[in-house]
Amino acid sequence: MTLTPSELSRYHRHLALPELGREGQERLKRARVVVIGAGGLGSPAALYLAAAGVGRLGLVDCDRVELSNLQRQVLFDTASVGRLKTEAARDRLLALNPEIDVIAHTLTLCAQNVSNVLRSYDLVLDGTDRLSTRYLVNDACVLLGKPLVSAAIHRFEGHAMTYLPGRGPCYRCLFPAAEEGVVASCSEAGVLGVLPAVLGAVQATEAIKILTGIGEPIVGRLITYDALELRFLELPVTRRADCAVCGECPTITAPSDAGDEACDAAALAQVRRLTAAALDGLLASQRTRDTLTLIDVREPHEFNIHHLGGARNIPLGELERRLSELAPGRTPVFLCRSGRRSLMACAIALRRGLEAPAHLEGGLLAWAVQIDPAFRVGPG
Amino acid sequence: MSCTVRIPSPLRSYTGGAARVPGEGGTVEEVLAGLEQRFAGIRFRMVDEQSRIRRHIRLYVNTAEVTALSHPVKTGDIVHVICALSGG
Repeated sequence: MTLTPSELSRYHRHLALPELGREGQERLKRARVVVIGAGGLGSPAALYLAAAGVGRLGLVDCDRVELSNLQRQVLFDTASVGRLKTEAARDRLLALNPEIDVIAHTLTLCAQNVSNVLRSYDLVLDGTDRLSTRYLVNDACVLLGKPLVSAAIHRFEGHAMTYLPGRGPCYRCLFPAAEEGVVASCSEAGVLGVLPAVLGAVQATEAIKILTGIGEPIVGRLITYDALELRFLELPVTRRADCAVCGECPTITAPSDAGDEACDAAALAQVRRLTAAALDGLLASQRTRDTLTLIDVREPHEFNIHHLGGARNIPLGELERRLSELAPGRTPVFLCRSGRRSLMACAIALRRGLEAPAHLEGGLLAWAVQIDPAFRVGPG
Repeated sequence: MSCTVRIPSPLRSYTGGAARVPGEGGTVEEVLAGLEQRFAGIRFRMVDEQSRIRRHIRLYVNTAEVTALSHPVKTGDIVHVICALSGG
């Protein structure tokens, strides 16, 4: 695949690097990379990969652009708000480099479609904001033998690590399992807008190195970045012989959506889901109020900003150990910011034998909108 | 033994936002017990009831991975607590 005259001009600074040169640039042109999540990490990664001349770039996302994305998701501008991210991103990337192909995969990755989506690419960049997707993508990459460059962010901190088939540990070797909700998301905890720029650029750097065969990838090396201290740290990670997907006796032999044990659908059917209006009604009467225990499962710093009168703070991560503190005979009503962690709390309570726990659907955000506009929910 | 414990972003709500806190103890277990006394609840976020390191947490002393809480800690060591992050 030879370079056209305009490409020779466009990629001149790459061609001037003897390590990369014409052969490396032609490899990039032949390469097919898929970016999972057109968010904070996917934005800079996709922009740099497009600029670098990766011949085919796939983008997987099912969301639309929101105003709150623009603080960090530099693929989009104000006029993109409301558009599908994949379509707005394709327009932006093709405006940057019309010599490449951009494929929009407007879908939610799941066990049924992940292999089909990833199969036609040479390398996968994971910038998703869901832990369950992180494991799904990792497992699919191990099973398909695809290189995977992972990164994740939270507040002022980020991680990055690369998996190369047969050459080092995978994401499950790094963290064998994690429950959604126990690990706080950026929408709940906040994120410094420029943080994903650093990690997304690390991912693009890794992709370019692997595709062109230069340098040393961060295989078996977890890179952590702390923006407040402006410090990078490198920690060794070894392959686990007992890894469920890349170990010697793997138990995961096909991608699965079942990674999120706590969100067992049958169990969650027993959860009483209260709308903000329904909870307000229960709290208005002393008789019904006395049958409830309000448990706010947010982190202490969120609880301290504002909380419902009478609510106790037990962060989700401590709930399992502190369930015995709940008053017997009362219905526990779990509260959080958006209703996600409170649903997880219900799942934990059910698993430990508590009957009919309740949670506030839509969380305190819904409470602030529907019941009490003065209620301050933060940070978001 | 005096060491420094590096707290990951998701657990800094326990340490008043501090990224590094002083630790005391000759083993990781003792250092974590000391942390628990000052920051109630933080140990359980890293270690379960059977004293196993949680599967979304990794502990290091300097650059050596901790696989057992009896891992020794010397004066001047840095204990890194690494927590899976979910944001993208």
